[in-house]
Amino acid sequence: MSVSESVKRDAPKARPALINISWAWLGLLPFFLFAILFLLYPSSTIVVGTFQDAKTGGFTFQNILSLSKDPYILSAYWLSIKISIVTALGGGVFGFILAYSAIRGGLPRIMRSSLMTFSGVASNFAGIPLAFAFIALLSPTGMLTNWFKAVGINIYDHGFTLYKFWGLSAAYMYFQFPLMVLIIAPAIDGLRKEWVEASENLGASTFQYWRYVAFPILLPSILGTMILLFGNAFGAFATAQALTGGQITLATIVIGAQLRGDVLNDPGLGYAMAFGMVLIMIVVITGYTYLQRITERWLR
Amino acid sequence: MKRGGVIWSWFWMILGILYFFLPLLATFIFSMKAELGHLGFKAYLNVFSDPKFQTSFPASVIWAILTIIVGILLFVPTAYLVRLRLPQARSAIELITLVPFVVPAIVYVFGLVGTYSHPPLLIVDSPALLVAGYTVLSMPYMYRAIDTGLRAIDVRTLTEAAQSLGAGWGTILFRVILPNIRISILSGAFLSFAIVMGEYTLAQYLAKPAFAPYIALLIQNKAYEPAAATIISFALIWACMGIIQVVGGGEQGQVAGGH
Amino acid sequence: MRTKTFSYYMLVLFVIAATLLSACGSAAAPAASSGGGVSSVPADLVAACKAEGMVTIIATPGNWANYQEIFDLFTATTGVKINSLDENAGSADELKAIEANKGNKGPQAPDIVDVGYAYGKTGIDAGDYQAYKVSTWDKIPDTVLGLPAKDPTGLWTGGYYGVMALEVNTAVVKTAPANWNDLLKSDYKGQVALAGDPRSSNQAAQSVFAAALANGGSLDNVQPGLDFFKKLNDAGNFVPVIAKVGTLAQGATPIVLTWDYLAFGDKDSLAGNPPITVAYPSPTIASMYVQAISAYAPHLNCAKVWMEILHSDQGQLAWMKGYAHGVQQADLESRGAIPADLKAKLPASSAFSSAVSPNPDQLSAARDAIKTGWDTTVGVDIPTPAP
Repeated sequence: MSVSESVKRDAPKARPALINISWAWLGLLPFFLFAILFLLYPSSTIVVGTFQDAKTGGFTFQNILSLSKDPYILSAYWLSIKISIVTALGGGVFGFILAYSAIRGGLPRIMRSSLMTFSGVASNFAGIPLAFAFIALLSPTGMLTNWFKAVGINIYDHGFTLYKFWGLSAAYMYFQFPLMVLIIAPAIDGLRKEWVEASENLGASTFQYWRYVAFPILLPSILGTMILLFGNAFGAFATAQALTGGQITLATIVIGAQLRGDVLNDPGLGYAMAFGMVLIMIVVITGYTYLQRITERWLR
Repeated sequence: MKRGGVIWSWFWMILGILYFFLPLLATFIFSMKAELGHLGFKAYLNVFSDPKFQTSFPASVIWAILTIIVGILLFVPTAYLVRLRLPQARSAIELITLVPFVVPAIVYVFGLVGTYSHPPLLIVDSPALLVAGYTVLSMPYMYRAIDTGLRAIDVRTLTEAAQSLGAGWGTILFRVILPNIRISILSGAFLSFAIVMGEYTLAQYLAKPAFAPYIALLIQNKAYEPAAATIISFALIWACMGIIQVVGGGEQGQVAGGH
Repeated sequence: MRTKTFSYYMLVLFVIAATLLSACGSAAAPAASSGGGVSSVPADLVAACKAEGMVTIIATPGNWANYQEIFDLFTATTGVKINSLDENAGSADELKAIEANKGNKGPQAPDIVDVGYAYGKTGIDAGDYQAYKVSTWDKIPDTVLGLPAKDPTGLWTGGYYGVMALEVNTAVVKTAPANWNDLLKSDYKGQVALAGDPRSSNQAAQSVFAAALANGGSLDNVQPGLDFFKKLNDAGNFVPVIAKVGTLAQGATPIVLTWDYLAFGDKDSLAGNPPITVAYPSPTIASMYVQAISAYAPHLNCAKVWMEILHSDQGQLAWMKGYAHGVQQADLESRGAIPADLKAKLPASSAFSSAVSPNPDQLSAARDAIKTGWDTTVGVDIPTPAP
């Protein structure tokens, strides 16, 4: 371990601070090396590809320009943003409710551990298997559709369809709920039991407890996690591809098509779109970081 | 929690259970239809006896475990150093841990494969690249979990106490700090495990045996076996999660500085 | 503490049981079919291939036109491992894989590709192929379906062709549609699917192309095909799910436009569970698939052995057993090399007498038009950006 090699045991006050700090920076070296080699340098291909003409290799702004002019691409972005917001909100709200019920809701302890382990599995259940599970459930010949038919209701006649926006959102929730549960659980744990008791002692109703004690503390974490959910949905594409044959044109699907190199396609455009996604995500993450800073005050 | 509150908790739980289990049930019922006329486990037998399943599932489990270990070895000392000595580095590091989140996975994989498939950096054939890629993909979750855990304990006091008792850095990190952030590491490990088991693109393009490409292969060729494989993978991954949880001491573990 | 240890042991037991089950399963697995190799392959090539130790193929599932038998033939001939990459890939992905792995001699670099007809030309233009003329070169006809069946310099060789057909799950669809206009009937609401995304899949694009022929278009004009699918979509008959054998069996995509050999292959593998019918609409499209050796192939001799096998009698018969139409079929017939029972299984050529085949330029032009026109013409869900 480079830490034990490079950071010597010391009495903090005896040695000059300079030596300590520089040894400590050395300890961070593995991380930075790893990040540069396997994350930053490979990811920089996006920036390079965005400003590089795919055919000549020269510098160009053309890729970005075509991005902002093409309504098809703009609508792809908008659709991705829309589904990410919807599933972040829905996933965040219901995920929070589930987590709270399991952790502080007075349920048997096994509910919490089962929910946690199940969420671990479900949070990555995406792509083709997830799409197929929903097809098996809600397609015109699906299990649930048949149950409804058995009691005389044909949901497809009433305008329901699995293969449009709301069907896809319903499928997305399958990994959004669990992600929310997993990430918000520590924050809910941080709600000390003493606080509930204290507020009850002071005569507060449940509503008042939530309004004045719990929500103000939890809100930054909830919002911050919802932003993570946004990012999770924003970058997803396998589920949409499998469920809708790529008909619901999300930004990631368009990028995938460009990059996978239908030889007649434009990888420069694909990189530019990815660059655009990165910019959007940077905005989103900035919001998340800000909320994190606020949350920290409570956890100190 | 007041009594009325418990009823609500059950209500939401049952709603959640219904939402999660119905798609699985539909998949399961479909997987049982492999034989004409009656329900049976033929599809499951086919999957279990498929040599590709027997290689790809354990392979993915191994990748996952390696990724978790690399993550712990890499991120715990880093987060610890930042918290203890180098808060200046914190913003830079947090930014880095968010990059995998910001860059769409498909683009990252292309970049990674592209970078390392040409000499002189021709390591595209090495399993190390796969594990590195997985570690990067799970970094936002793993690092964040470890960081949250460190945040909740009093690192400075623990370190000083251990030092005053004569502990070296190795002992401090792995026998004092690590056990105290065990729950957070567990949560990060869960997510990393699931990410690796479900990850398709990287394994596919690096041509390494893995479970998600195997399922994609099944879907291309077979009707009922993919449904069976999905159920099998769900059950097995869930069991592995359970083992991780039990081995890690479960939710009941104490966190220093107690809640 | 007791519950914890108990649950720990139960979980470990479960995982062990699952592992044992797979071990038992492998014992019950049928022994691999033994059979001689292909004797017509030059022995020095086989020896050189054995020295190379591996062959890398791409986008070639075992159940695509009975390729599995060709895999077995290769293994029996050389004993060398087959490294099969990305079976879901499309033709364009294959060329991209060649180009992306130019300097790479590892297992990610394909040795040999099996691509759609248009990609013969595309690959040559991109410099992706190297020339090789198989020993049975003269037995391959100069033209099949009115188009060149091999590149004169040997850069690519036609292998087999398929005809676009209608695959129907008759457990879900009681009366199968027989032709293009039937597909528009209200009986088939939400039932008609393509086998891929027409903007990127060769097969799906050719389905649209075939629809064009039936609706006033021609090999040079694919727009009527797009219009047809718009009508299909507006009628609510088109289901946007990419059809796989699973969705076909489950009933989500009970009517699929796909190559006839894939449809017949599904019919065999599903074995009546559910029952499948295959019909040829008229007019329809036929298209050849060609094979080529990568210009940067790490295992050149194995690639050559592979090509030799594809164009041996056994290779061609293997494809024909998979219901594909081998390019050397006429030659095999003239020598009486086709077994009678195989002949009986194959669909009569009169069934697809209306099939026409586009040349590479027509294919590329059609694919371009479909790629740009699919969303605007057929367009499913394109919301306008928020003000």
